[in-house]
Amino acid sequence: MLRLLAVLVFLALGWAQEITVLTHSSFSLDKGLIARFERETGLKLRFLKGGDAGETLNRAILTKGAPIADVIYGFDNTFLSRALEADILLPYRSPEIQNLKATLLLDPSFRALPVDYGWVSLNYDRAHFKDRSLPKAPADLARPEYARLLVVQNPATSSPGLAFLMATVARFGEDGYLDFWAKLRDGGVRVAKGWSEAYYTHFTLYKGDRPLVVSYTTSPAAEVYYSEGKYQEPPTGNLFPELAFFQVEFVGILKGTNNLEGAKKVVDWLLSKPVQENIPTEMWMYPARRDARLPEVFRFAPEPVGSVRLDPKVMAQNRERWIAEWTQVVLQGRSPEAVRRGRR
Amino acid sequence: MARLAGLLVLSFLGLALFYPLSRILVLGVGEGFAKALANPYYWERYLWSLEYGLLSAFFTLSLALPLAFLFRRRFPLREAFLALSTLPFVLPTPVVALGFMALLGPRGVLGVDLYGTRTLLFLAAVFYNLGLALRILLPVAMRLEGPMRAARVLGATPFRAFLRVGLPLLLPALASAGLLVFLYAFSAFGVPLLLGGPRYATLEVEVYTLLAYRLAFPEASALMLLEILTLGLAVLLYLRFRPYPLPPGELLPASWAWTAGLAAFFLLLFAPLGALFLQADPRALASAWASEDFTPLSLALGNSLRFTLLALLLALPLGVAYAVAARGSRLLDLLGLFPLMVSPVAVGLGYLLAYPAWRGSLPLLLAAYALLAYPLLARALLPALRSLSPNLLQAARVLGATPLRAFLRVEIPLVFPALQSGLALALAAILGEFGATLVLWRPEWTTLTLAIYERLGRPGEAPFKEALALAALLALLSGLLFYLLDRGRGRWG
Repeated sequence: MLRLLAVLVFLALGWAQEITVLTHSSFSLDKGLIARFERETGLKLRFLKGGDAGETLNRAILTKGAPIADVIYGFDNTFLSRALEADILLPYRSPEIQNLKATLLLDPSFRALPVDYGWVSLNYDRAHFKDRSLPKAPADLARPEYARLLVVQNPATSSPGLAFLMATVARFGEDGYLDFWAKLRDGGVRVAKGWSEAYYTHFTLYKGDRPLVVSYTTSPAAEVYYSEGKYQEPPTGNLFPELAFFQVEFVGILKGTNNLEGAKKVVDWLLSKPVQENIPTEMWMYPARRDARLPEVFRFAPEPVGSVRLDPKVMAQNRERWIAEWTQVVLQGRSPEAVRRGRR
Repeated sequence: MARLAGLLVLSFLGLALFYPLSRILVLGVGEGFAKALANPYYWERYLWSLEYGLLSAFFTLSLALPLAFLFRRRFPLREAFLALSTLPFVLPTPVVALGFMALLGPRGVLGVDLYGTRTLLFLAAVFYNLGLALRILLPVAMRLEGPMRAARVLGATPFRAFLRVGLPLLLPALASAGLLVFLYAFSAFGVPLLLGGPRYATLEVEVYTLLAYRLAFPEASALMLLEILTLGLAVLLYLRFRPYPLPPGELLPASWAWTAGLAAFFLLLFAPLGALFLQADPRALASAWASEDFTPLSLALGNSLRFTLLALLLALPLGVAYAVAARGSRLLDLLGLFPLMVSPVAVGLGYLLAYPAWRGSLPLLLAAYALLAYPLLARALLPALRSLSPNLLQAARVLGATPLRAFLRVEIPLVFPALQSGLALALAAILGEFGATLVLWRPEWTTLTLAIYERLGRPGEAPFKEALALAALLALLSGLLFYLLDRGRGRWG
């Protein structure tokens, strides 16, 4: 019994001298790059996956008193205000900042540094629409013949879901977005919990029954990349650049880290050219560095023109209300008028 | 000594329950009600939770009542069936949820997909609570033969005898059982979270979602307050019902046919567990052991065992102290039952609010485990302690033993079997704990239950297979540990 206890205590104390990076569950980098960094710096990297981007950030906020990691990676501009208000990050003026695209520097206090960016966008299955016509304009999606082909993510539990909801607010306005969603609901839109459920179980490309899915502008390129020569051209396409939603992902050092120097090195490394050039084909986001070259396959992922951008302040003020109103209309079946009446 | 024990339990309850709950109260009333209760969405959650609780109680009772009448007879294997009927109650919620997924889910054995429907949720509630209701109804049902025979002698038809004599005598037990099932179903977390989808989220699930995804403390507190008030009302009602004192009855004769019929029934009842083991693939266990995508099984298993052991070290002295203190005090007896009324998610939420500086630290998680587990231990111990003759203790004192020594050397050995049963219950509760763990968790603390949840969150065949295999492992583990400690004595329920 005592021996068992001793072993358990030893196990509990086992991990020390590591830098822990808290990430969302889609995080991935080349193993060789990580090994090289560990060799050169003598630091051991541990990646902790905290779930969806929003969930990961909340976990960091909930454990503020005893931080679970030294560095957090991957919270986006829809949650930027929450990260800053919760005061969980240390400012760090990385020497790499001068190499980053200036438009991405959304936090003047340098607590959240942009690490990559991309667009949440509608994808369609080309095979399914070969002989059928695609919707002509975003509003057409609400017609029953298209609504029943679409799968979206629940904005309460998924960051692409939230991004798409915000895109509809920007596109149809505070008065119109609920009507749009009510029509989608009546037409039979499907709501998945998260991106991977929507994409890998409901999308027709993966034997689901929905040929329209909320995903990323880079997803068609990723399909070509992973097909091992099966596809020369993407089997999917992007639809409606005017409904694409601009997302920036950030990295930051968590307050309470006991290895500040090590954490800084990790942030610098994540912003360095080799890692930035690895991000596109690992996480399918665009690098935040100006001088990072894009891989060849990204010719299938052109940046959308006329996409939606929302002011972080507007998002911070309205995020919770939009989610609540969406839930009432789409999941609870309430009428948009009743929800709007309830706003006062 | 009883006073000292009482002080220990009260100070633990104060720090680990009442203070955190008071923080929920303050925030819920102060800020939350205005925000949350103006929103019809939350009222719908509340109404659905009520409906789930009430209908679950109704379905469970309509099955448990005829079953109780069947069990009035003596037939081969009767005791084994009785022991079996309470088994679901010690099964961790993820095990039950995955059992139903293996049977009636999208990739289920039966090929019928009931995932995300109310039917599946009610089936799971009945599965969970049937044994509990049966245990409450059976003692009364067994004593009905005398009064009902008297009614028939006086000229009543069998049906009339049941309606006018049997049923009224059964009512208190029916009400108690129904209220208990209501309590458990109304505040259910694991089953609706895993099987209900967003449409059938109970209040408890909604509170968790509000915390994990939106960090909305005021709204979460308001909803939790609503839940605690409802549960408190149900508990007050529960305490009102006392069974009529009836002379003990005798078992009626029956044959092997009874055994065969009940065997068929239990086979049906345990079909979800059967499907779970049928679908669990040992190879998935191997791939889960050193998984790179999810928490590896090696770590999760270590965590589960480590936390269970540490929490038991805390729950054991607490449970014993509580039993000693409550032996003589009715008030303390009621107070100590309080942890059974609040939900694990409420405990987690309260800790986050009350001890912000300790968020993400192990003592909070262990305190939550101990709080949820010690009443179970004490409930098993208390009847045994109360039945001890005071003469024994006096004899030991006369022979020169100190009170502590007399307690340790005389009383504890005498109640040791009950203590073991209590420990077994506490262990099963901690090993399968889900709600508080999910709120207080840190990624490196992923336990077996959370490792299952984590795999369910990702679509695809491979993670689902791993989840099934882990659930089967957890079922075996909790069953084995429970049996080793309890040896099928079943001094509880």
